[in-house]
Amino acid sequence: MNVLEIKNLTKKFGDFIAVDNMSLTVAEGEIFGFLGANGAGKSTTINMIAGLLRSNDGTISILGKNNAKQSRFAKMNIGMVPQDIAIYEDMTAYENVKFFAGLYGLRGAELNERVVEALEFVGLQDKHKSYPKSFSGGMKRRLNIACAIAHRPKLIIMDEPTVGIDPQSRNYILTSVRKLNEMGCTIIYTSHYMEEVEEICSKIAIIDHGKIIAEGTKEQLKSIITNTKDVWIEVKTTEKVNLAAIQDINGVEAVSVDENFIKINSDTGVNNLNKILEHFMNSHIEIRSLQEKAPNLETVFLTLTGRNLRDQ
Amino acid sequence: MKDILWLIQNTLSVTFRKKKNIVMYLCMPLVGIIIALLAYGGNQGTTLNVGIVNHDNSEITTDTIQFLEGLDNVEISKIAAKDMKDKMTSGKLDTVITFEKGYSDSVLKGQPDHIQLTSIKGAAITGYVKSYLYQFIDNLSTISRAADGNEQTFKQLYSAYQQKDFKLGTHSLENAARSKNMTNQTIGFLIMIMMLSAANMSEIILLEKENRTYFRLLSTPINARKYLLANVIVNMIIMTMQVLITLTVMKTIFHIGLNVSFVDAFFVMLLFSFIAVGLSLLMIAFSNSRSAASALQNLIITPTVMLSGCYWPVEVMPKGLQKIADFLPQRWALDTLTQLQEGQSFSSLYLNYAILFAFAAAFFLIAVYKFSRNNSTQNFV
Repeated sequence: MNVLEIKNLTKKFGDFIAVDNMSLTVAEGEIFGFLGANGAGKSTTINMIAGLLRSNDGTISILGKNNAKQSRFAKMNIGMVPQDIAIYEDMTAYENVKFFAGLYGLRGAELNERVVEALEFVGLQDKHKSYPKSFSGGMKRRLNIACAIAHRPKLIIMDEPTVGIDPQSRNYILTSVRKLNEMGCTIIYTSHYMEEVEEICSKIAIIDHGKIIAEGTKEQLKSIITNTKDVWIEVKTTEKVNLAAIQDINGVEAVSVDENFIKINSDTGVNNLNKILEHFMNSHIEIRSLQEKAPNLETVFLTLTGRNLRDQ
Repeated sequence: MKDILWLIQNTLSVTFRKKKNIVMYLCMPLVGIIIALLAYGGNQGTTLNVGIVNHDNSEITTDTIQFLEGLDNVEISKIAAKDMKDKMTSGKLDTVITFEKGYSDSVLKGQPDHIQLTSIKGAAITGYVKSYLYQFIDNLSTISRAADGNEQTFKQLYSAYQQKDFKLGTHSLENAARSKNMTNQTIGFLIMIMMLSAANMSEIILLEKENRTYFRLLSTPINARKYLLANVIVNMIIMTMQVLITLTVMKTIFHIGLNVSFVDAFFVMLLFSFIAVGLSLLMIAFSNSRSAASALQNLIITPTVMLSGCYWPVEVMPKGLQKIADFLPQRWALDTLTQLQEGQSFSSLYLNYAILFAFAAAFFLIAVYKFSRNNSTQNFV
């Protein structure tokens, strides 16, 4: 059964087309990753699914029901974890979760039980009487999640849930996402961290300029570029590196910089390593290491969009 | 409806758990009463200093002086004629009564004369003493006329008059002008506090948009209309509490006469609550941040409150400003109350109620229209 079905969805802001005739299905039990640079149309799509924005054209169905016509049903079955932490600083952790859960019609003992369950799930049961202002960024993110899951939604939308938090909290959240999925929730997950998406998502859609340019499992996406390989060259400094010149070398598909690494995606059928190294020698750039890697999701994204996800 | 009640309950609980909000919303309206008491409460009990120059020294003169000494708020001091001018010009005495030789005889003849009242402060000061004094002298003259010039008969009648067990029941009548002034001052201040409170409560909408909870709320079964309605209801609850507390404290604790029935005053102020909430929503609808909303509130609330006569009577302002005040809802609320105080019946003021209602309806409609145009996350994402 499809939890989410999007057909020919379009959203315009004036002349700007944020989402362009997008169609997509998310099946029950999937962790569906949305990958896209800033301005690609991810948030606009998510806002339309959550009922915050109206589309100009197309339909969105949640559990088979059109969410424009049956918005209450759709909202009752969606849990939204917004990118920005949206909690009340003047309410305790318990009160925050209770308030949002109450908006879904929960009351009395059942409400209390669900609030405790949600707080336990995100590991904040000991802090239930504390106010969010005393929380770390990671704890606030976890409370942000608890507020979205207490009503046990079928579909949870997580928009960048790990932005700006410590590795420990990030691991906690990723584990929680897996657990929620095991409990039967379908999850839509967006992140700028490619490795997170690669690690937890069972299906991924790459969005660019409001369109889905590739969709499938990570293996299916990687297979798009099986005729390429990644060469990572670590240099002392990237200041003198001329990316355009490297891009012009025969067989080079894409080039990007990640800290001190020059990441080159190149055609496996072209033997151009000598020419690449020659460019570095001629430019007097000191090479520290060189690795040849199989393509990962980042390479796929870079190849398909021509943009590095994290540099946007 | 259940979710609206849930929102209302939560907003009220979060609002009133903060002490500063309790002070702001429930105690501040009472400050108006204190200000009114300070402004008008000292008007009572002014003592009148009266100097007596006695050239007559008769029994009737002595009795007249004793009568004057018995008056409330009158301080009698016997002075010599030569000191009269100095004591009055220095302000030690407000007025001087001179009993000239022959005063007693003239009273006995039934034609009172030989008495002079001197003051440099005019009728406002002498009027009070004059009215009591003349009444006393008139009584004596009447007795004298009844005795028909017979001194013996006069003494008998006068003695009987003095010993007559008159029962003078005294009732303190409220000074209506004073209590009206106090009521207007208090209601004027209440209007200002209501407008500020409404603006503060409506500002929660912008606060929620800025900290993103608004969008999270809209992703739940709550929609923008329900959210707005909940905010308006919370606002109205607070306004109603402010009006009830202020009117009750005025009436039962400070005993300030409203000069209008409690229910009528409550109705007028309740009507004004809708205006305050409508205007606050209008200001929020035209602001895209809390700082912009605050600036707009300062620009609108304070000047209109001043112009409409909430701080001082509108009559003291130039005619041009009074005409501007006619276009302000606060003026109409105060005018309605004033007319009720002046004895107009509640039902005869339907035009005033219609105008107040029209102000509220106009503000709400424009605000809702503007909100519907703003109803996109684009402005805040």
